[in-house]
Amino acid sequence: MGFSDIVWMGLIIAGTLYLLYRSVWKKKGHCAGCDSQSCVLKKYKM
Amino acid sequence: MSAESISEVMRDPVRPAAASLSEEKRTITVAVAGNPNSGKSTLINAIAGTRLHVGNWPGVTVEKKEALFEYEVKLIKLVDLPGTYSLSPYTQEEIITRDYLVHEMPDVIIDVMDATNLERNLYLTVQLLELDIPVIMALNMYDEAEKKGYTIDSNMMEEMLGVKIVPTIATRKAGLHDLLKAVVKLVDDPSSHHPKKLNYGEDIESAVSAVEKQLKDSYPSLAEKYPLRWLAFKFMEEDEHVQSELKISGDVLLIEDAVRHLKKAHEEDMESIMADARYAQAAGLTREVLKRPELRKTDLTEKIDRIALNRFLGIPLFLAAMWFMFKLTFDVSKPLGDWMNALTFGPFKRWAEALVGLIHAPAWMSSLVTDGVIAGVGSVLVFVPVIFAMMFFITFLEGSGYMARAAFVMDRAMHSIGLHGKSFIPMLLGFGCNVPAIYATRTLENQRDKALTALLIPLMSCGARLPVYVVFIGAFFPAYAGTVLWSLYVMGIALAIVMGLIFKRTLFKGEAPMFIMELPPYRLPSFKSLMIHTWEKGKHFLIKAGTYILAVSILVWFLLNLPWGVESKKDSYLGQVGQVVAPVLKPLGFGSWEAASSLMAGVIAKEIVVGTMGEIYVKKTGEEQSAVKPAFTADLIEIGTSFTTALRNSAENVFSTFGISSLSTKEDEKRSGLKSVLRTTFTPLSAYAFIVFVLLYMPCVVVAIAMRQEFGTWKWFGISFAYQMALAWLMAFVIYQGGTLLGIGG
Ligand SMILES: Nc1nc2c(ncn2[C@@H]2O[C@H](COP(=O)(O)OP(=O)(O)OP(=O)(O)O)[C@@H](O)[C@H]2O)c(=O)[nH]1
Ligand SMILES: [Mg+2]
Repeated sequence: MGFSDIVWMGLIIAGTLYLLYRSVWKKKGHCAGCDSQSCVLKKYKM
Repeated sequence: MSAESISEVMRDPVRPAAASLSEEKRTITVAVAGNPNSGKSTLINAIAGTRLHVGNWPGVTVEKKEALFEYEVKLIKLVDLPGTYSLSPYTQEEIITRDYLVHEMPDVIIDVMDATNLERNLYLTVQLLELDIPVIMALNMYDEAEKKGYTIDSNMMEEMLGVKIVPTIATRKAGLHDLLKAVVKLVDDPSSHHPKKLNYGEDIESAVSAVEKQLKDSYPSLAEKYPLRWLAFKFMEEDEHVQSELKISGDVLLIEDAVRHLKKAHEEDMESIMADARYAQAAGLTREVLKRPELRKTDLTEKIDRIALNRFLGIPLFLAAMWFMFKLTFDVSKPLGDWMNALTFGPFKRWAEALVGLIHAPAWMSSLVTDGVIAGVGSVLVFVPVIFAMMFFITFLEGSGYMARAAFVMDRAMHSIGLHGKSFIPMLLGFGCNVPAIYATRTLENQRDKALTALLIPLMSCGARLPVYVVFIGAFFPAYAGTVLWSLYVMGIALAIVMGLIFKRTLFKGEAPMFIMELPPYRLPSFKSLMIHTWEKGKHFLIKAGTYILAVSILVWFLLNLPWGVESKKDSYLGQVGQVVAPVLKPLGFGSWEAASSLMAGVIAKEIVVGTMGEIYVKKTGEEQSAVKPAFTADLIEIGTSFTTALRNSAENVFSTFGISSLSTKEDEKRSGLKSVLRTTFTPLSAYAFIVFVLLYMPCVVVAIAMRQEFGTWKWFGISFAYQMALAWLMAFVIYQGGTLLGIGG
């Protein structure tokens, strides 16, 4: 396994951890039905 | 006026606000308030094309939601508020609605009335009028009022109240243009609005004017922030929220004076005196404008309820309805699920491999894609049909009006644990997803009820647990699928009652007060709204699959392959941790590191138990190369034909559930790889113990976050985690050891 492989793996793991943090913690699991304050309000703006 | 004459029917939702609209244009803020279940959210959905949650029971909307749209070159912001019967600050919904109206001072309030319950709805209207905010009344459910033979003289009502009244049928989009026109007119020309000041009787009126004057003289700045008449009433009612917010309760000599006099004359406390006065107004108005038919026939709702709410039949019927629902869910989705399975692990996997080969990715990366992402996320995605089928039935249940009935029949059982039937509604919502269910506890009166209900909600089996059940049921109990599935849900409810009894003796002493649950009429949800709301619920699982289930699948792949070059998955990091935990699970019948590791990964979301098993048991890429590699077009044709077969089978299964034809559960043994591996590592008994463990073992991380957000502390999650772990272990232990002793399914 070369250096570039390790860099790639590091990047993938970091990205994955960020995705996990964002969707579970920040977006509160994208709660179903959007019935909580944690969800973005439905705005008809376009 | 008849339903047909309700001006034109609004065919399309109004145009969403365009970006071209100049920024400086003022947005008209319109608060939509009214009694629970009067159709506020339906009305907003019909006008603005939003997909707010609607359901046929009181208390669906639990927080304010906004929808912005453009109407006749005006920007209008509709604010959906939780339904309330009054503006007294007792339940959280009342507080949310009242705070919004008083503090944000919207330009207009649309008061959505249930025309079939005029008097009760007018009681709120009377209070809204005290706020000095222009009110327009939408006389909603006009179709149902007509069906009952009611005639409502809306012209006379307009005259008596001095507000514009527009009959509407939100479900059919009727009357909405008139409603919006009235809003725009009111905002353009405020002088056109002449609300009548309702007279609550001489003594109350003179008291309130005195208080009003006192407030104005002593606190001139208050008049800018609050409607003074309303404030005066609140001070007279000794409203604690207002008192503590304004902190002028020390200076109340005159108020006390006025109130003492009133109390003495009426021999009641001030709140009751005011309630009586408002009711008198609502009743008087109703008497004037509403004509009911002399002869009242019993309608369908009453006929159904005679059986559905029967003392002895109520609960058995509820259980039977659930059984039927699970059986249908399983049978309908099975062929489609098998099709998805074949698709994911056949063509999709092949295409992904080809793609990875095309870009000359290193071997580890192609393994990450196939053995990690596809095995992990794919194993979960194949359950999309089951989850959607389940969400469809739940949406139907929500729209039908049965939710409130279920709460009613469970009332006695709930009282035994110190709650009342109303708490059962958030619990039922937990069958879809526990997270919104936690937020739905807001409809409950006090903190004790809320916390206790929230502690029990994780025992309600949510959609995320379905994939685990379905894999194991498919492998071990295909002949009794519906019944086994049902047993898990019923076990969740039964254990919630047992745990409730324990909590009532320990953490939550006390009794629930009596409560009256409003039972809405049964309604048949429209196909379109069924589809929209099924999608809204099911979409959540797709988003999950694309975000954190994907993330965990990738991490699990790394944990299964680190330290780098590890020969057997058992020696990987995940395997090592699994081996440490496995002995604890040994007495439960599933003491393998594979089971232990999957359960640990499932802490993020329970579907991941299946995803992780998929990754653990997947054969290393290359081990199972198929001899012939079908071409892309051949794949496409195969997908198409197998899909039509799957559709036909699932349609046939609907009939078979009704006993009309035989169930089609044919499956391709080759393709259901995970199931066959499971058959070698579990016995039917340990499989059942395992799914019971998954049902109970802990709330998922997102529920933990929701509990923390709703209660402001991690305490309830901590308690929930501890008791659920103990309960899960105990139940699985009893099932496995008991079953082994009795010699069942070993
Ligand atoms: N027949 C008929 N049904 C309606 C009408 N408007 C709404 N409904 C039904 O009434 C039920 C309640 O609608 P919602 O929009 O959820 O009511 P809500 O006022 O938002 O209720 P909460 O959020 O609980 O306060 C749903 O089953 C709707 O389909 C109407 O004009 N006619
Ligand atoms: Mg609503």
